[in-house]
Amino acid sequence: MDSEWWWRPFRPRRTIWPTRDGWWCLFVVIGLGVAAINTGNNLLYLLVSLLLSLIVVSGVLSEQSMRGLRLEADAPEEIYAGAPALFGAVLANSKRWLTSYSVTLELLARGGRTRFIYLPRLEAGRDRLLTWDETLPARGRHRLAGVRLTTRFPFGLFLKAGHVMLDREVLVFPAVRPISPEELLRLVGAGTSAVRRRGRGHDLYNLRAYRAGDDPRLIHWRSSAKVESLLVREMEAETTEDTRVVLSGRGERDAARLEAALSEAASITAHLARAGAGVELTGAGLFVPLGRGPGQARRILTELALYDPRAPEAGAAEFGPGARGWRSLREVRVELD
Amino acid sequence: MPALLALRLITYLLVCAGVAALALAGLLGPVGGAILALALTGSWVIDQVRNRMPVRPFFAWAIVVAAAAAIAVDLLYLAQSLLDGMVHLLLFLILLRLFRRRSLKDLRDAGFLSFFMLVAASAVTFNVSFLFVFIAFLVLGTWMLILHHIVSESDQAKTGATDLTVGGIGPRSPLFRISLAAAAGTFALAGVMFFIIPRVGQATIHFRPELGRRISGFTDRVELGAYGEIETDQTVVMRVHFPESVTDPERLPNLRWRGLAFDRFDGRIWEAGPRRRGPVRRDLSGAFRLVEPRGTGPIVRQEIFLDPIGADAVFVAPQAARIEMRAGSIVLDDMGSITAAATSARLQYTVDSELEVTPPRGLRDAPWPPVSQPPEAARYLQLPPLPERIPALAREVTAGSRSPYEAALKLNHYLSTRFTYTLVLKQQTKLDPLEEFLFARRSGNCEYFAAAMAVMLRSVGIPARVVGGFQRGDWNPYGAYFMVRMKDAHSWVEAFFDGPGWVSFDPSPRAAAEEAFGGRRTAALYFDALRMRWYRHVINWSLRDQVGVAASMHRGASEWRGSLLGWRDSLRAVPGGWVVAMAVLMLVTAWMLRRHAPGAGRRVAAAAVPRFYLQALRALARRGIRRGSTETAREFSGRVERATPAFAPAVARLTAAYERCRFGEGALSPEEAAALDASLAALRRR
Repeated sequence: MDSEWWWRPFRPRRTIWPTRDGWWCLFVVIGLGVAAINTGNNLLYLLVSLLLSLIVVSGVLSEQSMRGLRLEADAPEEIYAGAPALFGAVLANSKRWLTSYSVTLELLARGGRTRFIYLPRLEAGRDRLLTWDETLPARGRHRLAGVRLTTRFPFGLFLKAGHVMLDREVLVFPAVRPISPEELLRLVGAGTSAVRRRGRGHDLYNLRAYRAGDDPRLIHWRSSAKVESLLVREMEAETTEDTRVVLSGRGERDAARLEAALSEAASITAHLARAGAGVELTGAGLFVPLGRGPGQARRILTELALYDPRAPEAGAAEFGPGARGWRSLREVRVELD
Repeated sequence: MPALLALRLITYLLVCAGVAALALAGLLGPVGGAILALALTGSWVIDQVRNRMPVRPFFAWAIVVAAAAAIAVDLLYLAQSLLDGMVHLLLFLILLRLFRRRSLKDLRDAGFLSFFMLVAASAVTFNVSFLFVFIAFLVLGTWMLILHHIVSESDQAKTGATDLTVGGIGPRSPLFRISLAAAAGTFALAGVMFFIIPRVGQATIHFRPELGRRISGFTDRVELGAYGEIETDQTVVMRVHFPESVTDPERLPNLRWRGLAFDRFDGRIWEAGPRRRGPVRRDLSGAFRLVEPRGTGPIVRQEIFLDPIGADAVFVAPQAARIEMRAGSIVLDDMGSITAAATSARLQYTVDSELEVTPPRGLRDAPWPPVSQPPEAARYLQLPPLPERIPALAREVTAGSRSPYEAALKLNHYLSTRFTYTLVLKQQTKLDPLEEFLFARRSGNCEYFAAAMAVMLRSVGIPARVVGGFQRGDWNPYGAYFMVRMKDAHSWVEAFFDGPGWVSFDPSPRAAAEEAFGGRRTAALYFDALRMRWYRHVINWSLRDQVGVAASMHRGASEWRGSLLGWRDSLRAVPGGWVVAMAVLMLVTAWMLRRHAPGAGRRVAAAAVPRFYLQALRALARRGIRRGSTETAREFSGRVERATPAFAPAVARLTAAYERCRFGEGALSPEEAAALDASLAALRRR
């Protein structure tokens, strides 16, 4: 059984730690306490009591500020290496009456500088969407440092912090850059199987009846006038050819070259999937069968993100003609070596 | 008001509160206060024009170095005590922070350093005004800390002042109310902690060798007329409380507060001659046992709070039998004078005294005039060369007496009725002071009366000595204690008689001459009663008091337990009483569990969803269309549109209004609300 399960009920909900001013305050309390004992001066006892009470009241008010705050943070589904990814969290104050003051969302960083998002106040029953971006430099699995809710309210003497959230593993896809149609044509090798398909291109594909939510700019006024009913244009996808992205070589020799090649493969995949084309990925130990849409793009990007030239399966033979399920497709070849 | 300006203002006020504490403790005189006020004003002005008129760094550093050198010299050579030197250093550091303010940190440091002014003042003051400075400091300090925290956090996160001032920082802002509540909570909690922190320490360190002012007249040597300067001072120096209920304390006989006794007279000066002195041992209860009560008068317990007056004397109602005092040792001499070296020990003590009664009990018959006296009485019969007419006058007054006691009474009566009390003590002739008093001026203060009677008693062979102390003082009905003022400083006479021993006589007609207490104004009495409570419950709070409170709480708890058992028995007597009690207990438990159940907060958060949208969801749910837990409102609207196109317009309208109300914070106009009601009705109808 998970040991965490046992400890969860006993784990404090929040941690508390003195700030630099807090340490000074504690030192002064100790010093004055010693002085009070040695002099027997009751006014010194009174000042010691004042400082101790200030510490207690500080704890009560900071607890009041943190209590009832609910933080729901999430990472984006797709993170690309080297590109800022937008993270978001919703902070809700579920207390019935009391406003939470001076709350900070700490964006922890491994080996880097922690960043802060500060909320001077959050009224009872309200929530706030907090967003920030983060750039992960390389593809693959990454452990996020996470975020946590903290407050130094009211006196700045103690830092009260909630548990770290979002300290989970995320998958970073290879960097993706825009691919122009000309560049794609240059990269394309042989292939057939052209199919017309709806998409976001410039050529007319079809006319159909208007539905709520359609872009009014797509209304075909002349045809609408003829049939006395609103008709909208459907455009043809720019690229309609299903494509096989072939990774040739294993990429063991030059890591920089490997990363550039994987980035290129990812860019082509993203471009084609967005255009509505079917994409298949083959390579040393890699095979993602033909498919289309965002889901397919994600599958291929995942494979590319996790590709390790030293993994045993990377030594497997390339998927090629004669293999089971082989279809003739237009091919884009990307050299890993 | 901009947040930074408010923070500066509060910090300056905090510094002023600290300065007030120093002034209260006598650590800052009027000149120092004026210089400090000028410096603070200067720092404020410089801060205003700092950006327009930058100060050359060299010039600034030169001033700092010069000031630091001056402070070092002061600390090492000039300051009256280490504490005074430290206070000067502290003020220098605060002013340095204020003059060279570059960031919020400097303001915070100045505020923190101000706290140490309070610490310094606490070492040497017992004044109740410290309480008011303490409260002011607490309120200002709390607000300063909160304000500093908010401004610095905003600064760090680059939020800017716009967000900060959303809730405002003025006296009506919620943040200010929180600050006041925090100050009140801190004060209450500090009060509780103050009373429960165990007083286990020993007073071994003293910041200053002397506390308070030093008054002449309470030393081993008293010159005739020396009390004159303090007999007009209205300052209350001693408060005497009777911890055990005493019926009508104003009627207690011969109540005076005896200090030092003097046996040697040179014609002008009374002083204590060579005498036996020795430390007094503590008994098993920890109290100092002085003498065994003789059983001739009432035993009265007094709790005495004495302001530091710079004298070693311990003032007690004669005849003191037992003293409880926080002193390592006390010294008793053979004239019954008690002294304690530690100033702090004399601030509060409790005495059991056996009061004298008039006439004294146990008076034995003695020949008159006295035939002989024991050798040890010789020092009390010592006389300087006197003009012959003084003993002659004594003999004349005491003529016809049947006993020494009667002779003493005659002398007492003679002086108190034939002479007048005055504080105007100008020498009118070239005679000795006593001779001038008895034969020329015929008026004087208590010292002249006491000296005259003692000399006249001695000249007729009755051992006598002069005693210095205080008169009884004025009764404060609001605090139930005697207020003894400086003007109550007094001298009287003690004469020795076979049987009762030393008996007090007060020949001075002072009480009759003095007007009724002029300060019997209610406000003044209330304020002095507050001061008394401050001394009693704060300045002199001790382990013994703590034990007393704990014992009374224990007694209270025992009584409460008894009443609880009685309540249990009565509950048993009621049919079904236990069932009702258990039901109430279960209801309370269920309510608390529900309140703290997981998701309780979410229910509250759900309340933020507009009511009309919840009603729409319920109407759709009744028709089997339920919103998924992960579905957004817009996705749900799309699904409804595809599944049931008839509901599409109403659901789209409701969804748009929901999004605007919940996330756009827009309020609905009456027309929009009516349209939504219509959409809801359409959903229900179909």
